[in-house]
Amino acid sequence: MADTATASATGGSEPAIGRGLKGLLLVALPVFLVGWLIIYPIIAAIVSTLFVEATDGVQFSTASYRFFFSDPYSRANLALTLWTTGVCAVLLLLVGLPIALYLRFSTSRFADLVQSLAIFPMFVPSIILSYALIRTIGPNGTVDILLNAVGLPKIPSPYLTPWGPVIGLVWDNLPLTVLMLTAGLAGISNSAVEAARDVGAGPIRVFWHIILPRMGNSILVTISFTVLGIFSSFTLPYVLGPASPEMMGPFMLRTFNDLYDPLNAKTQAVISFVFCLFFGIFYVWSIARNQRSQSR
Amino acid sequence: MNRREFLAAGSAVAAASALPSLALADDKTIQVYSGSDNNIIDFWNNTIIPAFQKANPGMKVKLVDAGDDNGLRAIADRALAALKSKADPQADVFENFDARLPAGGVEAGLWVTFSAENVPSYGKINRAAIDMPQQLPYRGSQVLLAYDKTKLDPKDAPKTWEQLVAWVKKNPGQFIYNRPDKGGSGGNFVRRAIHEVNGRDPSKFTIANFSADYAEKSLTPAWAVLKDMAPFLYEKGAYTSGNTQSIQLLSQGVVTMVPVWSDQVLQAMSQGVLPETTGLVQLTDLALCGGFSRLTVFSNGANKDAALKLADFLLTSEMQSAVITQIGGFPGVTWDNVAADLREKYKDVVPNSIPTFPGGDWNAAINDGWYRNVATGLARG
Repeated sequence: MADTATASATGGSEPAIGRGLKGLLLVALPVFLVGWLIIYPIIAAIVSTLFVEATDGVQFSTASYRFFFSDPYSRANLALTLWTTGVCAVLLLLVGLPIALYLRFSTSRFADLVQSLAIFPMFVPSIILSYALIRTIGPNGTVDILLNAVGLPKIPSPYLTPWGPVIGLVWDNLPLTVLMLTAGLAGISNSAVEAARDVGAGPIRVFWHIILPRMGNSILVTISFTVLGIFSSFTLPYVLGPASPEMMGPFMLRTFNDLYDPLNAKTQAVISFVFCLFFGIFYVWSIARNQRSQSR
Repeated sequence: MNRREFLAAGSAVAAASALPSLALADDKTIQVYSGSDNNIIDFWNNTIIPAFQKANPGMKVKLVDAGDDNGLRAIADRALAALKSKADPQADVFENFDARLPAGGVEAGLWVTFSAENVPSYGKINRAAIDMPQQLPYRGSQVLLAYDKTKLDPKDAPKTWEQLVAWVKKNPGQFIYNRPDKGGSGGNFVRRAIHEVNGRDPSKFTIANFSADYAEKSLTPAWAVLKDMAPFLYEKGAYTSGNTQSIQLLSQGVVTMVPVWSDQVLQAMSQGVLPETTGLVQLTDLALCGGFSRLTVFSNGANKDAALKLADFLLTSEMQSAVITQIGGFPGVTWDNVAADLREKYKDVVPNSIPTFPGGDWNAAINDGWYRNVATGLARG
């Protein structure tokens, strides 16, 4: 009895070394899985694209990378991927931020409805979304029929143009953006906003000087997160996008599956990975910065 | 979870994973895997399997939808490994597969070589359909042109490649085909263009005569023809990403004409996806290519003999007629081996000869060449 009392009083029942071991065991499985299923394939891909089998044994060669960057077709695909990712990120912020602000500061019942609508796309598989978009904003789709009914001209259809995947990807990634931005906004205290209002700040000033500086970090996290998803997206660009240039996802699959060319497919994957790594480092850096500022 | 619970749970999982192989060991069920579309899966489940089990009491067929060709490839890889270790691959038949895969499979004897000895009806097969003896062509399909009769009078429908090109150029934005690697309807349209610039002679292309130089020489003029056509296509050179999307654009009245697979278009019409006013036409100077679905049988499958019986059953007049009536395909056997009334009824849709284009290295050359030469040059966005 006396023992338990002292243990609970100090807040821990085991010596520090035992706890450390338990902690290591707990993370061992995920670390092992990450090492086996993610780190190892990455290293294997990099090694196998750089050390290629030649007539006289395995040789170091950067030929496949040189081919990628000297080939205008591959470069156009990479450029389109970067363009799509950039445009989607900007549009997501432009659309997501007002919704998140509204959800944070509104107290009406209507806000619940808006929230559930904003989260809804999360539960729609992208292949279904693709076909639904062809039906609605595609040529002679629902939107065209409605416009036609009131005597307006048809919209120029984004189907099979680079804007098709952009619209689909923005719709698909909106829930994640709104959720992460709302979470970031939750960290801003009402009292700070009210204090600013009391000294006469208008809504724009409050947003610019009080809210934005406090949520910079969550915006960075949101962008790096969505960018990672969009860069490697497959279904929407595959179904809605143009035949050429194509995004890296469909391009890699085609190189591997249709052209039976694993070496170039792996090269494309490594190049995509390097770009994603850049955003990943950005994400880790902003998280780390956030934790440092909180621990200070 | 304490250690005892963990061990109990672990052994339960291990036992569960061992179960299927135990259950299969003394079962006479033929394991069929298919990577085909839903209409084919339905055709097997509703027609072929009940008829086969009725004709062969005691035999059972289990059809597993492997999703797509990649799904089948994974199982074939496993079966090749099982062949080397003399284990049961737990698969007997692939409904439609290229026996050239997995690499080294044919050399290792992974697939049964079909002949009149193990499949008595082998002689009935259409000679033109036989590609290699490890594959059994049991159903075919061909690409036709489907058009909207309300916009194009059937008597003005193009009957030759030249008329088709003239029609496309006269009616800009009214024609679209899909990317050649994303579906056979566009793929075979592209191959028809290749035939056109090579003297309309399908025999000029075989799997064996592929070489990078010959491909360069024979394909380049076709890219020029297709590129010349591009500005007159839907959206001045857009290409759908699959057979279904082409049919969708036709059904939404966006375009007037698309190339389609015969089986898909007949089914779309019977289901009301396409209206009654859809017309079908085949080019008469040289038909658009078709393709055969080829069955393969594992030589190391546990039920190899039963599987060969199933293969033979597929070539019966009854099943071959069902291929025509139920899925709008055409038979793998010659036309004198199907019911006479069917021969008469479908003579417009199915010609006596179907040009085919070899696969193998040609596929990669055509797909890559098309993407690089025809699909590019779109200044949009």
